[in-house]
Amino acid sequence: MTVPAGPLPLAEPVRLPMRLSPKVLLIHPVRMIPSLIVPLVGLLFVGGFSGMSYTWAAVGVGVTLAFAVVRWAIFSYEIVGDRLEIKRSLISRSVRTIPLERIRGVDVSTPPMHRLLGLAVLKIDTGASGGEEEGKLDGVTLEEAERLKSVLLRRTRAARVTRPARAPMPGETSAAVSATDPAAATDPAAASASAAASMSAVREETAEDEREIIRVPWTWLLYGPLSGAYLLTPFALAGGAVGLAFQWGDDLGFGRDAALTVGEWLWEHPYLLLAVVLLLVVAMPFVGGVMYAVFNWNFRLISRDGYLVAERGLINRRSVSLEAGRVRGYEIIEGLAERWAGVARVWAIVTGLGDSQTRGQLLPDVPRTVAFQVTGEAIGTYQAELRPHPPIARNRRLFRAIAPWLALAVATTLTALLTAQPIWWIGTVVALLLAGSGISLGLDRYRSLGHGYDGVRLAVRSGSLRRSQAVVERRAVVGWHIRQTWFQRRAGVYTLTAGVGAGKGGYSAIDVSQQQAIGFPAEVTPEWLAPFLSKGQ
Amino acid sequence: MRLWLAEALFGFVLLVGCSILIAQWVGGSGWSWVPGWFADDPWLLPVGVGVLTTPFLVAEPFVRYAVHRWELSGDVVYTRSGFLTREWVFVPVSRIQTVDKAQGWVERLLGLATLEIRTASHAGSSTIKGLDYTVAAGLAEELAHRAEQLRDDAT
Repeated sequence: MTVPAGPLPLAEPVRLPMRLSPKVLLIHPVRMIPSLIVPLVGLLFVGGFSGMSYTWAAVGVGVTLAFAVVRWAIFSYEIVGDRLEIKRSLISRSVRTIPLERIRGVDVSTPPMHRLLGLAVLKIDTGASGGEEEGKLDGVTLEEAERLKSVLLRRTRAARVTRPARAPMPGETSAAVSATDPAAATDPAAASASAAASMSAVREETAEDEREIIRVPWTWLLYGPLSGAYLLTPFALAGGAVGLAFQWGDDLGFGRDAALTVGEWLWEHPYLLLAVVLLLVVAMPFVGGVMYAVFNWNFRLISRDGYLVAERGLINRRSVSLEAGRVRGYEIIEGLAERWAGVARVWAIVTGLGDSQTRGQLLPDVPRTVAFQVTGEAIGTYQAELRPHPPIARNRRLFRAIAPWLALAVATTLTALLTAQPIWWIGTVVALLLAGSGISLGLDRYRSLGHGYDGVRLAVRSGSLRRSQAVVERRAVVGWHIRQTWFQRRAGVYTLTAGVGAGKGGYSAIDVSQQQAIGFPAEVTPEWLAPFLSKGQ
Repeated sequence: MRLWLAEALFGFVLLVGCSILIAQWVGGSGWSWVPGWFADDPWLLPVGVGVLTTPFLVAEPFVRYAVHRWELSGDVVYTRSGFLTREWVFVPVSRIQTVDKAQGWVERLLGLATLEIRTASHAGSSTIKGLDYTVAAGLAEELAHRAEQLRDDAT
């Protein structure tokens, strides 16, 4: 479908009740097989493979199929005027209405079976709280998903343009703006549209074409294991297998006893168990890396139509559209290993984004310079030095990193002396070693601490094993929260949190001095703090 | 403009009421799972707890009352609260999304109310406890009204 360039007339009657692709009928029953197979097999065993039990099994399968058909038949969706209606009607009727202007993003993903059949799952993010409020179309064809995506997002924008456009903010994201194509700007339709709309709207309107900000080359997938993501997958898989074995064993009548016998046998051969655990540990980086590669395969970040679109995945190809106007900043995450390799991951901080951990991801592991370049291009750069926190913060970091291990060392030493069992000395040595490593950890934690403001965006950074730097636009700050625990009061430091109506909700600068705790908010939002400062807080 | 209103009743009565409840609950804890030496002298626990918590019980309401402040000036709501951990919260009226006033049963007895000022972020939301009910109602209305006027779309 070609989409006209100008704002769409909203009253245009579009009455096309659409159904999901019938191919989805192939998916739902297959998905139910795992839960069905055990009762069916059990039925066959119990019934002794007689004609009767076959009949019952057939009835079970038939009911499942019928259920899928009914579910498909009663489900329809259509775009009515300026809203999307999702209907489920058999005897009772449920209509979910989503005003198009409320749509903040569209998330298209293709799980393996959908992929085989050329289908996709379309999730519509409305910024409402709770997953129940979101629209979900499970099983539309790929073309329909693309069409819907462009229609929904375009109409969203068109609906917004007709409202009084908001003033261009100084920190307006450049993604929608800088993509202006001269050809599109001279387009007559766009020009006529621009007559009615304000400057910022025009720019959004003309930023039609798609621009690829980055395509992550596959060699960078090798950084995957450094991220620590999916490292526990082997254990999860093993745990899942054991659980499944228990459950199926139970259902199929082997009983728990057999499983317990196996467990006891393993317990009596601890070296075998140890070997299994070792194998799993060795497998961690490999399996984790493979999982990472599968999920982040061919990662692309695109700026299209005022949206940031992130596409990724090998088997389940996922495309997440984030409205650029709602992106308030970004968070750069670096683990210890990642810092050593000089790579970083980036998440976007978006207002009203549900499930932001998976949806907000802007970049997988890429070299730091690239990460900064891309975020600068897609969202905006932060240009200022981070200010260090007072030296007392270093003492606090050191104390926290060392003290627990020292306490443990003392405890084990005492036990060793009292019980006269040399094995406790091992504990002491380990604890002392950990305390020693705590020194460098504490120092590094202190080095990570920092906050800063460059006139448009503020930044806070903390953490060592997982260092995270959040960069947030000034206008996204909804309040300041200063907190001081009893220990902090003794040390004369504060935790300053900028409340942000996006992402995690608040980003903290830990252990700032009193001067910074008051000075930083006063610097970022002078008009809020002025009345209180004049009186001398 | 500085608004210092209706703090006189806050805290003390409320917390002493709570403490009596806690003391009663503790005193009535004669369950059967307690170990042998303890079962002989069940009164040890309430006494121990009582001794440990009494200083807190005495000090906390006064400290909380002394620390708790709120102020609306220049379209920014400022609240301060805390006992061992102090908190200061600045919330500009323009970013307020909802203003809730709530009354627990103790607060109803005393004619007090709690005002919850919510923004899009949990870190930017604050609560003012123990306001005189009429003051809370008036403030809630005023804040809601001002927030309407100053509405700004950035979040």
